[in-house]
This record gives sequence, C-alpha cells and structure tokens, in this order.
Amino acid sequence: MDSDEEDYVFFGTPIEREEEITNRRKKAAAEASGNLRALPPWKQEVRDEEGRRRFHGAFTGGFSAGYFNTVGTKEGWAPQSFTSSRKNRAEVKQQSIFNFLDEDEKAELEGTLGTSSQFDTFGFTAAEHARKQADKEQKQRPSAIPGPVPDELVLPASESIGVKLLLKMGWRHGRAINDSRASSLYDARREARKALLAFASEDAKAPCPADEPVEEPESFTVQPSDDDTRSSQSLPAFVCNPKQDLHGLGYDPFKHAPEFREKKRLHLLNDKQRGDRKTMSIKDSLFGSKSGKAAPGFGIGALEEYDAEDEDIYAAGYDFEETCIEDDEEPSRLGIESKQPSRLSIESKQKVVARDQGVLPGFKVASVSDYQLERFDPPVIPKDFVPHHKFPGPLETLKKLDVPSPPEVPPPDDSNLKLLIEGVAKLVARCGKLFEDLSRKKNQSNPLFSFLSGGNGHDYYERRLWEEHQKFGDQAKLLLDGKLSPSTQKMTAESRGKLLGEKPLERSSRETTTSSVASGEFQLQFNLSDTFKKPDSFSKLPEVAKPFKDDPAKQERFEQFLKEKYEGGLRSTGYTAASNMSEAARAREKLDFEAAAEAIEKGKRGKESMVPTQPLDFLASGMQFTSGGLEQVENSHAEDLVTKKMYPRREEFQWRPSPILCKRFDLIDPFMGKPPPAPRARSKIDSLLFIPDSVKVAKPEEVAITNRDVPAAQTGAQMTIEDVAEQEIEIVAENVERPVDLYKAIFSDDSDDDVEDLNTKKAQDPEKKTEVATTALNRLIAGDFLESLGKELGFEVPPDTPYSTNKANDLRIETPNSDSGNAKLSTGTYLNPGNETAQDGDSQKSKSIPVRSGGYNSGKHTVGLLNVSGKVNEDKFAQEDKKVKSPSSRRRNWSSSSSSEDERSRKHSKRHRYRSSDSYSDPSSDDREHYCSRSKGKRERSSREKSSRSRKHSKDHKHRSRDSPSRSHRGSEREHSEARKEKRKRRD
Amino acid sequence: MLKTKVAPSLAGLARPDKNKSNMSSSELPRKEANVLKGHEGAVLAARFNSDGNYCLSCGKDRTIRLWNPHRGIHIKNYKSHGREVRDVHVTPDNSKLCSCGGDRQIFYWDVSTGRVIRKFRGHDGEVNAVKFNEYASVVVSAGYDRSLRAWDCRSHSTEPIQIIDSFLDTVMSVCLTKTEIIGGSVDGTVRTFDIRIGREISDDLGQPVNCISMSNDGNCILASCLDSSIRLLDRSTGELLQEYKGHACKSYKMDCCLTNSDAHVIGGSEDGSIFFWDLVDASVVSKFRAHSSVVTSVSYHPKDNCMITSSVDGSVRVWKT
Repeated sequence: MDSDEEDYVFFGTPIEREEEITNRRKKAAAEASGNLRALPPWKQEVRDEEGRRRFHGAFTGGFSAGYFNTVGTKEGWAPQSFTSSRKNRAEVKQQSIFNFLDEDEKAELEGTLGTSSQFDTFGFTAAEHARKQADKEQKQRPSAIPGPVPDELVLPASESIGVKLLLKMGWRHGRAINDSRASSLYDARREARKALLAFASEDAKAPCPADEPVEEPESFTVQPSDDDTRSSQSLPAFVCNPKQDLHGLGYDPFKHAPEFREKKRLHLLNDKQRGDRKTMSIKDSLFGSKSGKAAPGFGIGALEEYDAEDEDIYAAGYDFEETCIEDDEEPSRLGIESKQPSRLSIESKQKVVARDQGVLPGFKVASVSDYQLERFDPPVIPKDFVPHHKFPGPLETLKKLDVPSPPEVPPPDDSNLKLLIEGVAKLVARCGKLFEDLSRKKNQSNPLFSFLSGGNGHDYYERRLWEEHQKFGDQAKLLLDGKLSPSTQKMTAESRGKLLGEKPLERSSRETTTSSVASGEFQLQFNLSDTFKKPDSFSKLPEVAKPFKDDPAKQERFEQFLKEKYEGGLRSTGYTAASNMSEAARAREKLDFEAAAEAIEKGKRGKESMVPTQPLDFLASGMQFTSGGLEQVENSHAEDLVTKKMYPRREEFQWRPSPILCKRFDLIDPFMGKPPPAPRARSKIDSLLFIPDSVKVAKPEEVAITNRDVPAAQTGAQMTIEDVAEQEIEIVAENVERPVDLYKAIFSDDSDDDVEDLNTKKAQDPEKKTEVATTALNRLIAGDFLESLGKELGFEVPPDTPYSTNKANDLRIETPNSDSGNAKLSTGTYLNPGNETAQDGDSQKSKSIPVRSGGYNSGKHTVGLLNVSGKVNEDKFAQEDKKVKSPSSRRRNWSSSSSSEDERSRKHSKRHRYRSSDSYSDPSSDDREHYCSRSKGKRERSSREKSSRSRKHSKDHKHRSRDSPSRSHRGSEREHSEARKEKRKRRD
Repeated sequence: MLKTKVAPSLAGLARPDKNKSNMSSSELPRKEANVLKGHEGAVLAARFNSDGNYCLSCGKDRTIRLWNPHRGIHIKNYKSHGREVRDVHVTPDNSKLCSCGGDRQIFYWDVSTGRVIRKFRGHDGEVNAVKFNEYASVVVSAGYDRSLRAWDCRSHSTEPIQIIDSFLDTVMSVCLTKTEIIGGSVDGTVRTFDIRIGREISDDLGQPVNCISMSNDGNCILASCLDSSIRLLDRSTGELLQEYKGHACKSYKMDCCLTNSDAHVIGGSEDGSIFFWDLVDASVVSKFRAHSSVVTSVSYHPKDNCMITSSVDGSVRVWKT
C-alpha cells in the first residue's frame, strides 16, 4: 500500500484545511468592519462583544455606562443615599485575633491578661522622658535644624536598648561607664549605711537618727553624679556637628576619597574663625583605622565595599603635613603655658595663609608690607636649668599621713557604735574632712554622733580615721604625684599655696570660709574620680619601671599616657603636654610609650614566667629606652638564648593524605585499605545511643589490644590487627544491641513486636531455611577449628560451654549472634587455610575472639534471645558480610561527628561494597566471597545480597524482630539497660 | 658550636658544583638589566617560569603579567581576579597558570588564551600562596584561614581534595616536592606533610614564618621569619643550620630564595634593598638598594646568574651579572 501511494500523481489543488479557512474568513470580516489593528487610531472604533458602539463622541451621548445609562440594575433599582468616597475613605480594618476566633474561643480568651498603657514604662512615658531630655540637650548644643523645632516634627527616640540595659544595671546619665560597683567608695558608703541600719533596727525607739544619717551619704554621692551637674567623671556630651552642606542625610561625598575631605576641611578652616571645633582628632587619623585609604591608582568594583583588606598597607607612611595644624587645637585642659607657643604658631601660620587667599579681587598682595611682626629672641636658658619642675612636698593627703598615729584604742563596747564609727571613719577618709564637719554639724543633737566632737568613742574614731587614711593614703599619694591631672588643674587657693610652700590655714578657720567648701568639693571630686579609675595600675608603676628616667618631661608624658590608657577610652584628656613637638615625633613617642607600657605590663605579670620573646625582642631591638628598661632588655637577651636552644623544635604527627591526593601525586596511599581515622571526640549522646552492650564486656580486652598495638601501629600489618580486632568487637556489638531497643524497652510492649516479627518472618521465610542450615553447620565447624587454632597460637580458648549449656537447658534458646560470629570466622579460615594473608588476618581475629565470645557468653547475657525465626541469623550474616567487606563503613553509626574526609572515603567504600576486588576491602572479605561462592553457589550469594539490601530498607523491622517475643524478654531488657548504665558509668 | 654542626650537613647541601668555587660575590646579579613596568601599585610576586625564559608578576592592580625579562617585554596580561593577586605559579610545561589572592579564590588559567579554566573556591580567607605539584595535576594553596588546600586540576570538581588544617595561624607560603607538601605559617611552624608515609612533621621556629623556599637540592628549607631573620633548616633532622640577619622583615610578606647553585641566600628588605648572604658563614656578601620601597619578592633564574625582584614601588627589576 505504502509503496503504491508513492506512485500516485496528484492533479489539481489540494483542499485547504479548515483552520486556515476560518482564519482567513476572520481576517476578511475584520477588514470589512474596519476593525483591523492596522487602522490608524483615530479611525478605530471600540465595540463591545455584541458589536455595539458603547463610546460615543462627547456631543453625541458620551460614554454609555451602567445599565443602559441608568443607575438601575438588571434586577431593578434600589434608592441609595450617595456617599462620596472622597471624604469617607474605606476604612482600614485592624485585624486582631478575635476576627478569627469562634465565639467559644473568644469566651475562653476573655479572662486572659492584656497589656495596659498604664504601666508602660518604656513606651509613652519613656518617649516623654526622651523628649524632655532632647529639649534639654537642644539648649546645650546646636541642633541639626536651627531654631525651635515643633514637637510634632521631631520625635526624639526613647532610649536605645543599650542605654536601657545600662540603666538596668545601675548606670545613670552622666556617669562614666566603669566598675563603680567595685569602687571603694561604694563599699564605704554601703558599710556606713549598714552600720546605720543595724543601729536603727536595734534601737527603734531612738528618736530621729535613723532617717537623717541614712540620707546623708546619699546626698553626698548622688549629687555629684547628678545629670545636670555633669561632674568631672561624667561622659563628655557628644557634640553633634550641625549639618551645613547640601548633601543628603548620611551621604558622604568623600567616602572613598578621604584626602579630599582633608583638603576641604582645611579650606573651611582657613576661611572660618579659629574657634570652630573639628570632629576628627589627629590621633584618629594616625592610629585609628585607616580603612578607606586605598592604594592609589585603582579602586575596587563599584559593588564592593572597602574594608580592612583594601587598606593600602604598602603606603609610605602617614601624611602629617595636612593635619598638623588641627592638632594644636585640641582642647587642652592642661598646660596653658605650654600651649602658648603653639597658638602663636597657629596665628602666624594663618596669617600667612590668609595673605595668600584673602585677597580681594582687583587687589594684589603687597610685596612689601609695612607691618612687620617684631620678633625677639627667646631668653637664654641657663645651662643648669632642668625643664622639669619637681614639687618639693607631697600634697595634702600626705601631710595627713605625717600626723603621728593616735594611740591604739580598744573599740567601744557597744558593737553598734563601733560599726558606726568604723563606717564614718571610712567615709571620712574617702571624702575628706568636709564630710566629717558636715555630719558633725548635722548630728550635733544626736548623742550617738558625739564621738565626732570628742565624746564617747572619740579616741577610737581618731584611730580608725588614721588607719583608714593610712590604708588609702598610698593610692591617693600615687594619684597625686603621678600626675598633674586635669582635675588638679582647677587649683584652689589652698592647693596653690601648698605648692608654693605656704603654711596651710587652720582647719577650724576653714570651716567658716567659702573656700573650704570649694576645697572639699574639689577633694570629693578628686576622690570620686579615683574610685572610677583603677589606681592599682599605677601603684606598681614607680617601683617597676620608669623607662624614661633620663628625660623627666618625657617620663611625665609617659605617665600621662599610661593614665589615659588605664582610664579607658571614655574620656580623652588632651594629649597636649608635648604640643611643641612635631607630629612625627609625637607619633613615634606614642609608639614608644605603647611598647614601654606593654613591657611594663609584661614585667608585672610575673618575671619568672618566660614570656614568648617577641614583644621583648621588640624592646631589645633598639627602642629608645633609657636606663629604666635595662633589666628587661637583659632579660630578653637571656630569653633569646633560651629560645635559641628551644627552637627549632620538631614534632611528628600522623597525617592522612586523601587517596585522591596520593593518586595525583602518583604515590601509593600509605593508608590504603585502612579505615578512616577515628572521630575525635564522641559526644555523650552518641555514646548513649550507639554503644551497644557487649562493648562493655569487650571493652577491657579492647583496651588491652589497642594498648598492645598502638605503639607499633605505624606498620600496616599491625594496624590491620587492631582494626580487625575492633571490627570483630563491633560486629558483635551491633548484633547484640541496637539503639532502638533502648526506647523499645521503655516505651513499647511486646505485642507489636510479635506482629512485626511475624510479618517479617513470612517475608523472609524461604531464605531462612537454608541460612539456618548453613549456620548450624558452620557452628559445628567453628567450635572445632577455633579450639585447634587457639592451641596453635598458644591462646586459651574458652570452651563453648555456655553455648552448650544453653542448649542443654533450653533447647529453644540459642545465641545466634555469637554463633554467627564464630561461624563466620571459622568458615573463612577453614576454607582458605593456605592463604597467607587470610591466615594472618584470621589469626588476629582468633586472638580477639576468645575474648569476645567468652565475654559474651559468660556475662549476664545468656539472654533469652529466642531465635525462633532463623531470619535473625540470616540477618546477622548479611550484616557481617557487609561489615567485613567495607571496613571503612563500619563506623557508619558511630561517626556522626567525623570529618568530611571520612565521609567521603566512606561513600567510596560504600560504592564498592559489592565488588570483590575492592582495594579498600579487608583481605578477609575476599575469603568471604570465596567461601560464599564455593559453598552456596551464585544464587545463594545473590539472594543474600538481596536480603542485605532489603535489610537496609526494613532495618527498623529487624531491630524489633531481633528481640523476638519471649516471656523473659522484659527481664532481659531490664538487664540490658542496667548493664548499659553500668557501662556508661565506666565510660564516664 | 653552630658552625661545627653546619659543616658536615652542608657538605651535602652545597653541590660539588664547579661554578661554586668560582662563584664569588662578583658574579652575583647586581646589575640592573631591565625594569619591567606596567603594574599599577605594588607588585606582590614575581616568578620565573621553570626554564627561566619568562617571568610572571602579579600585584595589587589585580592583574597577572607575563614578561620576557631578558628583553624587557610585556607579553600578556591576565585579568580576572577581583582583588589583589598575591601569588602565581606556572606549570613546568608552561601551559597553565595558577594564581591566588585577596578574593579567596584560586584561578587556574590557560596561559596561551588567557582564559580562566577553573576557579577553586573554598578558602575562608585570603589566599597567600599557591603552587603546582610536579605533574601539574594538583594545586596547593595556603590561606589566611589557617589551612592548606589541595585542588584537583584533572577532575572537574571544584572541591578541595585535601584540607590540611593543623596550622594554628595564617599559612603564608607553601612548597611542594614530589612527595611532600611543606607549609610555613605565622604560628611559627614549618610543617612538612609527607604523603608517602602519612606523617606530618612540624618544625617550630618560634617566630612567624613569612616565606619558605626549598634549596635546589631539596635538603634544606629556607624560612624567612618576621623577626628579621632568615633561617636555614635541615629538612631531615629539623636542625637549624644557619641564621641570616641584617635585613628588615617585620610586617610584609616577602620572599627569600637561594641562588641556583645554593651558594648564596637572597632576601629582600623592607627598605628596598637586596641582601646576599653566604650560605655557610651567613655573612652579608653583598647588599644594594634595588627598589625605593619594600621588596616583596625575589626569584632566581634556574640556570643563569639572573634574578628578578619585585617591589611595592610597582616595578619588577631584572638583575644580571
């Protein structure tokens, strides 16, 4: 037929298909109606689906809308009042949980708690508070938007979470963040309060004293740290720069071109008055992060951000020339006299600049100016002048120490009074005499405080006071002579007089003068600041090291530096003492200081402990340290010698190259055929879940074996020994127990076991029978062979008695697990006696086997593992088969935390599981293959493989079915779990 | 005491080379033959190829450049890196390149087309050094993430075939022999990973190791440490044979190498000068200022008396006798 068709000759036009026809028709119709797309828009008409025109010209009826241009509908017309949606917008529905609840659920929810704004301390009230705060701040500094801002526009945020947290931890506004809790002042205050409280509770009848004194320490401490006063230790208020440019908020035009920022700033600075604050200090630019300073010439992609990696570490150095002017402007609280020259230089510099830039158009800078700055040579400094002023005597507190100690006085009998006295003395020692005076004045009427004015217990009070002074004297002294601190800069007349060697006025007279208050305040502040710092860090300084002894000025700067360092970064006192130095010199000096500080720290930490030499080397290699650091330099030399002896140090570790790496390097894998390294640390859970019972029994032996083998474990053969031994143990282990059983024992009963078991039994019935037969045979052979082999090797082989007794006692009870282990082993060796490697491996096995089987059988584990279904046995077999073939997969259950490398190799081995010529397989696996094929033939083997594969799927079933139903099942399980507990204990 | 130790072990080290006796300081390459200019910004490494006819340089400008140093010609430019290129190595047959750098990747290039064949990602930080093995089948890279990683060039996988993470700090440099991987790290160790026996041998020098380089006979390792000294280690015993000092090397990644006759040790300095030390007595044989800034890399010609140096000043210089 087909061939016939080819011979036909067709005449005429073929009939067109229908689709084409309809298409063409449509097209024609469209053309006819003039509705084609191709028409110009003004000729096109809109028609509805019925071909009617609904749009008319504006003068011919307009747009036909609604229902035939009426408000009616198909159903009719219903009058309705018109509501304009212009004013009444559709309301946005606030969804709540109640929208989605049924009535009964709502009723249930009725009684629950809700939030109430009444108790909202963070929301509204906090916002209110923040607004107030912002108002206050606005008065203090220029705001971003000049002039008063309407409250509606700017809503200040309530406290940030950080502030909230700090507040909760006891911080208050205006306080430095410091461990003020640990401060001694706090302790003193608390002690005093404790004393007073103790007294109050005891002596409730005492008229008024309880109230007043309690308040007093409060008033002392709270006042200075109050928000408004902003005492010396408060945070500096962050001065915002008013926004003055036209860029968008947060836009930084110089983000990637910091050098232009400098230029611009310099420009502005020159134009403006000198009083302008600048934001960036020189130190930031020097030692802060240099990020954004990229190498010249090229940048990075537009989508990438500059970060630390992009810094140009190869940049030549710091560019000082641009910034040196600014630094002179740093707010300095110290050294007014030292600041003078720098100011001069600024002014002169600015004049020079102004001359260049501030020229009006049309004018020219005069080449010769009439005005000449007259300069005088500085006075000649006498040669013996030392530019460091040493104060002849220490300050006030030291004076106090010089007072001869009052005689030792026994404390008053009244313990309350004693406590009170001690507390007050401590407080007075801290806060100064003023406190004492004040409290004396306040408690004039109070008989309790008579000790202040020479009454009962006055002697003791004197003594305590002296002791307290003694105690805190050191600290104060160090503070005093260690610095001309910013706070001491505010000198009172007294302190100045003291400096000049004047005799201090009498205390009694001071009490009345106002200056005494001032001095008291000063001292209070001073002591408070003391408490907020860590004076301990200075305490060792004078003894330990004065690295710059030769140069007192430098030493002083160094101390200043240290102080700043230990104060932390919250407050930076101007580093101005050296403002006459060049920027480079200053930078270098700072580096010096840092190194020295580090060295001192190191030295403090303990001279005996040998520190790694690097920092000290740094010291040794030509720092400009003078005599002070000498011992340390020598120290480091000694250490150098030590390290020279110490290094280089050679150590060796085991390292496992991956097989593929060996392959690529064209080398033989030294670990070929060995299991992956053991996972490092097994977690407790792992051991809980995956360590079966019999391991416990085998454990000591395992340890023994590994002990024996590990020292020599380098060589391949011994490694295999160990591995094989372990493997054996684990095989047994796996057979005996499964993690599932633990839970089963607890959570389920036997009934479902039965069902499961029956099911699986049915499924595997045909295979089962042959398996049972072979295993029975194997067992017989195994017993004999094991014995003979053991004799040969000189090992004691425990007789198979437990097994036999089992048999004798209860014919139904078998111990298939141990049997199968034996059987497997023995058959393997039995059938390949000539094979050397097999012999080797198996002899090792036999070493471990007595241990295992004996352990297993002799333990409590004469468990009623009823092997009604021989399937279990067969399972075991398949399992073992797999195990042996893939030694590296043996840790599949164990190594949940093993490295990826292990995993890879494991996968690898899995892939090759069923290949007999697998390079990773154990020698014995070959034997097994051999044996299998010989004894059972191909079919048998394949069926086993199948079963083992199916086993994988029905793993769960098997676990259950293994603990086949028995009366004694529960009891045995209990035993198991007990044993497990024991074992765990031992592991721990 | 040190010298007595040095003498016997160096007998094996210094090859019985006839040149050696003649090789005085006068034959050291100290005359500037060519300046290879083209890099913008710092040049971070310069390497001869295996026969010494060409050289490669890489730098901050994210390019790798191929030069003919003897004629001073720039041949090719390899651009693909996203950040600075820190190291480059070429296969013995000159067909492939590998390079690494700040973008945490290792690029595997085809030399002639200039295309990237493969990118190996996996390092968690910048990659400091990279080397091919002898058969050019594996690239080993050393990274800031404290690991050495081996990458397979033969397969198409981009996963490392081996991760060595026993280092405690940044690995700065890597050397390969036929059977070993050697890495130098800032933790102060030079670790040798012997694939044949599966051992890791760690030589702790106590100082951060900046660069390691093998002697030509393979018996010694030259380790440049950040305490401004270069140390020579005997590989078999781990003994410290000699220390070479005088230069400045404190914070930059800088190379050091031996001359092809193993008679002198060459190292750059942070002030831009090149130092030649006598291998045995550690005396500074010669020293001259080669660059205006830090010398990042030195590479010695495999046969001739020729040397290339690269520097932060952006130039690669060729030195001959």
